[in-house]
Amino acid sequence: MTANIDARADESATERQDAGRREVFQYAIRRFGVYLFTLWAAITVAFFIFRLVPGDPMNILLGNLTRAEGRQRDAAAEEAIIAHYREIFGMDDPLPLQYVNYLRKAVLGGLDLGPSFVEYPAQTKDLVFRRMPWTLGIFTTSVFLAWLIGTGLGALIGWMQRHGLSQLAVILSTLLQITPQYLVALGLIIYAGYTLRILPAGGPYARHLQPEWSWEFISSLIQHAILPMLSNMIVIGAGFTLGMRALMISVLGEDYLTFARAKGLSPFTVLKDYAFRNALIPQVTGLAIIIGATLNGTFIIEILFQYPGLGTLFVQAMGLRDFNTMQAIVLFSIFAVLTLTLIVDLALPLLDPRIRRVA
Amino acid sequence: MSGSALLEIRGLSAGLQGRRSITQVVSGVNLDVHGGEILGVVGESGCGKSTLAAAIMRLLVLPQVLQSGTMTMRLEDGKTVELMELPDNELRHLRWRHLSYIPQGSMNSLNPVLRVERQMTDTLIQHGLSKKEALDRSIAALELVNLDTKVLQSYPHELSGGMRQRVIIASAVSMRPALIVADELTTALDVVTQRQILQELAAIRDELGATIILITHDMGVVAQIADRVAVMYAGKIAELGTVNDIFEDPQHPYARGLIGSIPRESGQRVEGLQGEAPSPWNYPTGCRFHPRCPEVFERCNQHTPTLQQRAMDRWVACHLYDAETEFDG
Repeated sequence: MTANIDARADESATERQDAGRREVFQYAIRRFGVYLFTLWAAITVAFFIFRLVPGDPMNILLGNLTRAEGRQRDAAAEEAIIAHYREIFGMDDPLPLQYVNYLRKAVLGGLDLGPSFVEYPAQTKDLVFRRMPWTLGIFTTSVFLAWLIGTGLGALIGWMQRHGLSQLAVILSTLLQITPQYLVALGLIIYAGYTLRILPAGGPYARHLQPEWSWEFISSLIQHAILPMLSNMIVIGAGFTLGMRALMISVLGEDYLTFARAKGLSPFTVLKDYAFRNALIPQVTGLAIIIGATLNGTFIIEILFQYPGLGTLFVQAMGLRDFNTMQAIVLFSIFAVLTLTLIVDLALPLLDPRIRRVA
Repeated sequence: MSGSALLEIRGLSAGLQGRRSITQVVSGVNLDVHGGEILGVVGESGCGKSTLAAAIMRLLVLPQVLQSGTMTMRLEDGKTVELMELPDNELRHLRWRHLSYIPQGSMNSLNPVLRVERQMTDTLIQHGLSKKEALDRSIAALELVNLDTKVLQSYPHELSGGMRQRVIIASAVSMRPALIVADELTTALDVVTQRQILQELAAIRDELGATIILITHDMGVVAQIADRVAVMYAGKIAELGTVNDIFEDPQHPYARGLIGSIPRESGQRVEGLQGEAPSPWNYPTGCRFHPRCPEVFERCNQHTPTLQQRAMDRWVACHLYDAETEFDG
């Protein structure tokens, strides 16, 4: 019987390692397939949704032009201009053909997403690329910082759940978590920006500066980013803190924690290797979910702080019913969110040996 | 009781902390554990045997609380320590070196994200062994439970239930502790594995000279490997004696009921115990067994019987023997 057990363990150990490697690979491939499919679905939904928004971009454009030029209306000229633009934007084709053309250009034409109305004749792609670093800079930095701080803090207050300070922290986090991001942003603008005047509360950098690799410019950049990032971090971080605390408390009730204490391990080792490591796994999944759910909050914050990111661009584009630009923004946001989520998901098997074996 | 016991438990009480008061689960347990023996502690679910195990290990967590009593442990060098009063950091050094624990939920007692090697050696390294010594000790311990050393490279989810249980036993004996508290160690296993593991445990006792407190609800397990048995009922010890004495001539009516409920080969009908074990929130007055006792009389619901010595190595807490005991004493 004993020999049997040994032989079985012998055989299965090498087999297991091979199978394990194969399964990690399959997991990565499958995950990447899901990634591509989601991206396609996002493009498709974005394409049709924005064409359902009421209001013809041509009329709005024409109205703006007329107002700008201040001329009498000339019906024939109007017709000609509209026809010209409709052709450029490919709007005379039936919708399914427009869709196929759009996809073809986007995939085969090197991300050609068409011209924009907002800054005609600038390409939508260039417009989005110019604005995207601002959004992604604020968004990713604040989400990851909030996650790091929230995870650390949550682990600590979960570990010391009966301490008075922990209970205070829970009440504070709950209050902050239910506050809408824009209220926090408005509060910060009014209090830190205008009452105390300790930090700038508008624009990406000081008005008299030009983008360059100088200390003055970079410090101005950082100072201007602090308040928008804080508005994001406070709310998201409070959520992460509460989440990690709950995970920690449930792990503390596990049998392997009792056993770890019975072994006479130092409290720090029990906290680090036994409690924290296990609570961390669902917390990383939580990060992947939050990334998708909070980008829109960042858009609102950009508008409040006059930050030249995708959020402000989107509002401009919405005003003109510029669906090319709106679509491109949605597309790139989804691309960014999906890519970040993919990275997080692929990191999970590193943390949890059990996922490596999911068939 | 003799003074040479390895562990001397006196008046040990533990309970559940409620909003206003503590509900007592274990009430004034007195128990001597002798060096080198396997002491079985048996009783129905909810009789407080696991709480007793955790109390000995000082592993109770809120809402469970230790209330009173003393637990004096004699170490190899002849010194004694009082487990109840030991500060946490000293208790930490005592654990695994002198006092080990095999937990009830063995299926979930290994950390799912660490390899077995790390989980076995991290403890040994923190107890002052070098990395190499820790690994050697772990390998030696795995051999004691007939496990291949390849399990060191496995994660717990890759092992069967029996293998996990063996890893836990190996870990618990790797520092050659004097005392091992094993709580329901075979409950989650099939009978074949159960038998093998019990044999391994007995072999470990013989080889290491360890003392084992075996908590179980299974009279069969006790009959197989225990030297002495403590029968617990409603947080108290009802009867204490050698395995032979208790199985052949149970004296407490509860012990008689338990023995009577073991199926026999002869095909006789099993006589079970009537009723249910009381929960700690409504332990009966007087003798806590009296509502279920077939031999109850008027004294039983008034007075609480104490554990009295009836013979060499024989202790019973029952009013049936009051007169004799008084006469004897």
